[in-house]
Amino acid sequence: MRSIRDRRTAAWAIRSAALLLCVIHIVAGLPASAAEPKFPQLTGRVVDEAALLSVPVRDRITGWLAAFERASKRQLVVVTVKDLQGYPIEDFGYRLGRVWGIGEKDKNTGVILLVAPNERAVRIEVGYGLEGELTDAISRAIIERNILPAFRQGNYEQGVINGTAAILKVLGWDGETPGAVVPAPESQQELSPLSLLILIILFVIFRFGRHGIFSGRHGGGVWGARSRGGFSGGGGSFGGGGASGRW
Amino acid sequence: MIRTFFSRSSRIFLILFFAMGVAACDINAVPRNDEEVKAAWSEVLNQYQRRADLVPNLVETVAGYARQEKETLTAVIEARSRATQVQLPPDILTNPESFRQFQQSQAALGGALARLMVVVEKYPELKSNQNFLSLQSQLEGTENRITIARRDYILSVQKYNTELRTIPGRWVAGVLYPEAEVKQTFDISGEAKEAPKVKF
Repeated sequence: MRSIRDRRTAAWAIRSAALLLCVIHIVAGLPASAAEPKFPQLTGRVVDEAALLSVPVRDRITGWLAAFERASKRQLVVVTVKDLQGYPIEDFGYRLGRVWGIGEKDKNTGVILLVAPNERAVRIEVGYGLEGELTDAISRAIIERNILPAFRQGNYEQGVINGTAAILKVLGWDGETPGAVVPAPESQQELSPLSLLILIILFVIFRFGRHGIFSGRHGGGVWGARSRGGFSGGGGSFGGGGASGRW
Repeated sequence: MIRTFFSRSSRIFLILFFAMGVAACDINAVPRNDEEVKAAWSEVLNQYQRRADLVPNLVETVAGYARQEKETLTAVIEARSRATQVQLPPDILTNPESFRQFQQSQAALGGALARLMVVVEKYPELKSNQNFLSLQSQLEGTENRITIARRDYILSVQKYNTELRTIPGRWVAGVLYPEAEVKQTFDISGEAKEAPKVKF
């Protein structure tokens, strides 16, 4: 009688210990992520940490990028950083792209135009899915022809505008078409109550999505285009495509 | 009556606990990590192949302007043929010797290419050739992709090997995946000797 209970207790103890080990394993065994630079917050389609752009220019570019995403589901993000934290711009760029998850998930259709004025370096970082269209050679040509001439004269705004427009053009969207830049706000008034309800539900989902439930899979979507705060990456990944330039 | 109730509920508890323990152990971690390693390795091979494919075009373009750099050009061609001729045995990821050979042959090609790109600095005409500029940016991009593919591979192997060598992954692998072996990863010892030397 006693021995049975002892055995049972022993079995219990062993299994509890095994379970505990497993739990510890799960908690402690998460791979410690390799040293990563500190990245700026993804606050919108244009993240101007280095304060190179005026508000009208930033809004104008944001408008292009939002319309571009609506037309093609692809994401282009313009980033200026104060500091590359000692990383080569190639290294910083692809890590930033992965952390932000720019571009559609699974298709990896994201591009980042990264400007580091203090290191005098610029990079077009191309997601896996766009490497065939925006090749390294084309990226290099855009940097040399459209971006660096203005940067060398200290005109960062013009360089960023030219570079963004050139990238959009290569990706099949003409950023200079005024009709395409401004989304027609009237269309919102034509919404039936039902579709309005659906949009509200979607909006709620997007809000939750940013807190991790859908982990940003829905990208900026429709709403990211209208409210700068609602933009997030679609989950795309990067593998080092693109080109860099220095001035 | 009370005793039977106690023993039954405790048995249920035991089963529940055991099930939770097994679930927490994640018995699929080894094969899942193995697949990740394979995918990362394919990307490494893919990018090395891409670099090898660029070489003939690059050599031809450079030779058009800098024929006197025959030695450097020949070194690149030879390193390329050695790198592409290496037969990859199926067990390359778990065999230290063949892994090291692979790593060395690729490092030799990388070194030869780096020397070539140093040499071409002497030829301003070549450096303004549109075709060459395009090839140069492709080569830079490919080297960059190789770096990233290797880093991703190293991280995936680290995860896999850690799973295989730590408890409880080790127990799980011992019972369910006895064929799983620790995988090889890149290190700089095989490559440091191949770093390009710049002569003035």
